[in-house]
Amino acid sequence: MSKTALVVDDSPTMRQMVAFTLTNAGFTVVEAEHGKDAVRKVSDGGKMDIVVTDLNMPEMDGITLIKELRKLAAFKFTPILMLTTESAMEKKQAGKAAGATGWIVKPFNPEVLLKTIAKVMPA
Amino acid sequence: MSNDFAQFQDAFFEEAAEHLAVVEEGLLQLEQHPEDLDLLNKIFRSAHSIKGASGMFGFNAVAQFTHKMETLLDLLRNGQTAVTSKNADLLLKSTDCLKTLIDAAKSGTPVDNETVKRLTVELAAASDMNVKAESKVEKGASTSLSVPSPLTPHPLRCFHIDWAPPEWLFQRGLDPLQVIKELGDLGTLSQVAVDASRLPDITEMDPERCYLSWSMRLETGKDQQVVEAVFEFVREDSVLTIEERETLGVKRETQDEKAMASGASREPVAAPHPSPLTSDGSDSEPKPLGEILVESGVVSREVLDGALAQQKRVGEILIEQHAASPQQVEQALHKQRQQEAASQSKKTDTASIRVDTAKIDKLINLVGELVITQSMLSDLGTRFEMNQIHVLLERMAQLERNTREIQERVMSIRMLPIGTAFSRFPRLVRDLSARAGKKIQLVLSGEETELDKTVIESIGDPLTHLVRNSADHGLETPEVRLDDNKPEVGTIRLNAFHEGGNICITVEDDGRGLDREKILAKAVTQGLIAENEKLTDDQIWSMIFKPGFSTADKITDISGRGVGMDVVKRNIENLGGTISIKTEKGKGTRFTLKLPLTLAIIEGMTVRVGRETYIVPLLSILESLQPRPESVKTVIGKGELINVRNTYLPIVRLYEVFSLEPEHTDPTKGILLILETEGECVAVMVDEILGQQQVVIKSMEQNFRKVEGIAGATILGDGTVGFILDVRGLFEIACREASLVA
Repeated sequence: MSKTALVVDDSPTMRQMVAFTLTNAGFTVVEAEHGKDAVRKVSDGGKMDIVVTDLNMPEMDGITLIKELRKLAAFKFTPILMLTTESAMEKKQAGKAAGATGWIVKPFNPEVLLKTIAKVMPA
Repeated sequence: MSNDFAQFQDAFFEEAAEHLAVVEEGLLQLEQHPEDLDLLNKIFRSAHSIKGASGMFGFNAVAQFTHKMETLLDLLRNGQTAVTSKNADLLLKSTDCLKTLIDAAKSGTPVDNETVKRLTVELAAASDMNVKAESKVEKGASTSLSVPSPLTPHPLRCFHIDWAPPEWLFQRGLDPLQVIKELGDLGTLSQVAVDASRLPDITEMDPERCYLSWSMRLETGKDQQVVEAVFEFVREDSVLTIEERETLGVKRETQDEKAMASGASREPVAAPHPSPLTSDGSDSEPKPLGEILVESGVVSREVLDGALAQQKRVGEILIEQHAASPQQVEQALHKQRQQEAASQSKKTDTASIRVDTAKIDKLINLVGELVITQSMLSDLGTRFEMNQIHVLLERMAQLERNTREIQERVMSIRMLPIGTAFSRFPRLVRDLSARAGKKIQLVLSGEETELDKTVIESIGDPLTHLVRNSADHGLETPEVRLDDNKPEVGTIRLNAFHEGGNICITVEDDGRGLDREKILAKAVTQGLIAENEKLTDDQIWSMIFKPGFSTADKITDISGRGVGMDVVKRNIENLGGTISIKTEKGKGTRFTLKLPLTLAIIEGMTVRVGRETYIVPLLSILESLQPRPESVKTVIGKGELINVRNTYLPIVRLYEVFSLEPEHTDPTKGILLILETEGECVAVMVDEILGQQQVVIKSMEQNFRKVEGIAGATILGDGTVGFILDVRGLFEIACREASLVA
C-alpha cells in the first residue's frame, strides 16, 4: 500500500507543487485548502503517514491545525512538517509547541522536500 | 530527478494575478476601514503567498520586493505601525511595481529599476519605525535550512555523539530511531549505547514520553555541520554534544570546527539559500562577472552599481562612433519595443482559464446524453420505415436540445463575472480624484453579470477610457458643483446587465453633460460639418467619436489629447458591439455599451439574393419593409434613396455589390432591410428573408482574406457556405457610390 500524505496550503500553486512532488514519489495525496478543510478531510478517522502544512492560511492557520490534529488519536504521532518562509524562531517555537515535527523553509526544491520527509517518516 | 516545478509557473502567474487583485482591492478598502484586522490579514496572506511561491521559481526580485511589502504589512497588522494614507499609498504604488516585476518574470518585459529601488527604500523606511521587527525578519530570511550537499569526499572523521532527547519527543511525531538511522546513512555507526538511567519506575512511566538517551561513535566523510543537520528538528531541545575525537586520514581543520571545538557556538554557519530551481544545479546559467566579483569580495555592491551605471548601451556607442544616426537607433529601439509587445501579447493569448469542476461534470453528463441520442438515431436509421417518422422527429428534437444545452454549457465555461473587469476602477477613480482635485465616488453594480472571457479582457481599456473621461471632462470641481446646487461629491456609476442576447454596460456620471454648442463649434472649425448643417442630437454626440476630436479647453494628463474616444468606439465595434450616448446639460452623461455575450456565435437573419444566402447580424436590423414606388427617389449627389417616415436613407442593392443575378431589380418587388451602424442607417435590398438562426462565425481573414462588405462566413444547414454581411462596410460602399454618382 502506498503511503498517504495530507498537503495543506491555501495557495493552489504551492499545494499543487507539493502534491505533485509527493505523488511522483509514490504517495497518495489528499489536498486541503486550509486548516478547517484539512480537519474536515481527516474527520473520518483515517490515518496519514505524513502531513505537510502551510502556516499562514485563512479559516484556520497551520499552528491551530497542528494542535487540532494532535488531539486526534490517528494523528498523535504522525510526522507533521510545516512550510514556512520565516525561519524566525518564534514561528518555529510556536509550531514545535503545537506539536510540529519539523519544518521546510520556502523556497525549497523537490529534493529538499522529499529528503526532509524521509528524515521524519518511518520507512 | 523527474520532479520539476517549472510546469507550475503558469499556475503561479495566474494565482499571483489573483493575489495582486486581492492586495489592491484590500488596500483600497483599508483606507476606509483602517481598523479592519481581517482585511489586513487577508492582504498579508496574499502578499505572503506571492512571496512564497515566487521564491520557488527563482523569481528573486519578486520575492525580495514582496518581502519588503510583507514586512510593512506585518507591522500594520500587529498594530506596530498605524495605517496612514501615506502607508496605504506606498503599498498601492508597491503593488503596481510588484505587478511590473511579475510581468517581467513572466514575459521579460523591462522593469523600471529606479522605481523598484526607490520603493524598496521607502518600504524599508516605513518599516523602520520598529527596527527590532525589521532586523528580526531579516535574520529570519537569512538563516535557512541547510542543504547538505554531497561535495568532494572529505577524509574520514570520527565523531562522538551524546544525545539526550527531550521527553516529549514522541508527541511531536519524532522518532529517535529515525535520527539514528539517518546518522547511519552518513557513515559507519558504532558503539551505539542506550542510557536507560532516566527510566522511571514502571508505575510512574508514561509510555508516550521518551526517557532514553544515546551515545555513539560515527565515522564519516561529512563535516560536523552535516552531522548537526541530522538533529535539525530536535537540537534546540536536546542535550546534544557532537565532538570530533580524532581525524582519520588527513587532518583538516576548518573555521567551523575551530568555533565548534572552542564551544563558541552550536549554531551552524548559515548555509546559503537552497538554490531555487532555475538557478539550481550544474546546468544553471553562469553568473554575471560583477556578481562574482561582489561575492568573492573583490568589489563592493556600491562600486559595482556605480560601474554598471557608467556602462553605455550599444545604441549610444554606435551613435558616438557615427556608425548610426540617433534616428536610426531610435527606430530600431521602437521596432524592438514593438516586437517585445507582440511577443508579450502572444504570451497572454495562451492564458488558461480556471473552470469549476461542477461545470465540467455537467458537460460530461450532457455529452453522455448526446452519445445516447446518437446511438438511438443510428439504431433507428438501420431499420427505418416511413411510419416511424414521428419517432425520428422526436429524436431529432432531443438531439437539438442536447446540442443547445452543450453549446450553452461550453459557453458558460468561458463566461466570467464582469466584476473582474470592474475591479480596477476603485483604484483608478481614487487616483484620478486625487490628481484632478475632485471629489468622486464610484458606484459599481451588476458585477456578477457574466460574459465571455475574451470580451472581458478587451473591454477593460475602453471602459478605463470612459471612466477617465467622466472624471476629467464630465465631473466638475467641488466648487463648481456647490455653485450649481449639486452635491459636492460627483458620482460615477458603472453598471452591467443582460438585455436579450446582449450585455449592456453603462458608464454614467452626474457631471456637466456634453455641451452641444461647443461640440458643434469644434466640429465646424475642424471641418467635420458645414457651418449651417442641421444635425440631430445623436449625430452631434457621435462627433466626439471622430478621430482627433476633443473639446477640452486645456489638455490634462488624464485625458483630453483628442486620442481615445475614436479608439474606444473602434474597440467596441471590433467586439461586435455598439456604443451610444445619452446626455443632458448640467445633469450628466451616460455611455451605454452593448456587447454580444460571445464573439463566436451571433444571432443572424438569413436572406436570399438570387441563389445566394447571406446572413445579416440581427443586432443591426432595425426593420424590414417593401417600399411603395413613390418613396424611392434618386437624388443627384446622394444616389438612390428611400424615404422612411420622412428620413432619407441610401439604398444598397446587394446584387450590385456582389455582382449577382437577382430575382428582383426593382426595390418595390424585393425587400429592404434597414440596418443601423454607428448611429447611421442604410437600406439594403435583398430578394427574400429566409429566417433567423444562430450562426457560428468563421473568420474570413484567417481562411481567405478580408473582403469588403463581408464580416465572416458560416456553414449553413445544408452544408453550403454563407457569408455574414458587414453592415459598416456596406454603408461605406453606399457612401462611396453616392459620391461617384455625383
